[in-house]
Amino acid sequence: MALKREAIEPENPALNASRNFNLPHSPGIRAGEFIFLSGMVAVDPVAGERAPGTVAAETRQILTNMAHLLESAGSTLAQVVKVNVLIYSMLEYDNMNAVYREFFPVDPPARTVCGVQLSGGSKVEIECVALA
Amino acid sequence: MTDRLSRTVIEPINPKLNVSRNANLPHSPGIRIGEYVFLSGMGPVDPVTGGRNLGPIAEQIRQTLRNMAHMLESAGSGLDRIVKINVVLADIRDYDEMNRVWREFFPEEPPARTTCALQLSNGNGVEIECIALSGA
Repeated sequence: MALKREAIEPENPALNASRNFNLPHSPGIRAGEFIFLSGMVAVDPVAGERAPGTVAAETRQILTNMAHLLESAGSTLAQVVKVNVLIYSMLEYDNMNAVYREFFPVDPPARTVCGVQLSGGSKVEIECVALA
Repeated sequence: MTDRLSRTVIEPINPKLNVSRNANLPHSPGIRIGEYVFLSGMGPVDPVTGGRNLGPIAEQIRQTLRNMAHMLESAGSGLDRIVKINVVLADIRDYDEMNRVWREFFPEEPPARTTCALQLSNGNGVEIECIALSGA
């Protein structure tokens, strides 16, 4: 019996960046007992537009939106297993980490961080795998 | 206590597309764990010669996704069973072109995806990896 695959969406439609920016990916996919999220960039939950800011500000906005997306699918940040953080410069590592810590105070997920080129002028992009 | 999940190596039916073996690299083309399939990063390899097709980026992406379809189908999965896909470009300026090609392969309920640009080996313009569910 093959495991079920289904797309998940945020309850707040302003945060459905896949649809609002007309991108060919889903916000997330539930597959069996796991949820896999697309990389998320900082989006304003009211305007639905990109919210460029400092690395600290973008990290805070992304993790707030990630909590909402996971909760929309019946999961939470506390259920996150693995996080990948992409930042435009590794010189900003500490600035990201200081905010990140606030969201995962206990038993934080496994995580990888790397410095890469991001699209659309974003400074931070974060994705995760969580338990459904 | 549940049973331990099984772990098996998966390979493409076309041996020319087994880059792990042909380039003598210390990774497997993919691993199946239970109902999940995890693929190594794939590039634009020619399925006839086994060499690399380093042409225009759109064609590199098409070739890579065709090879990924073959790899997944070799393991009883398929592009429509992909859950999460990671795209690594050599140049982030190819982002829009990548999106145009993407729609040809994932017309409905596309996988979750993350894209970034970084330094790639062998002159590749793109490398793509994915996690998929097995079973049609």
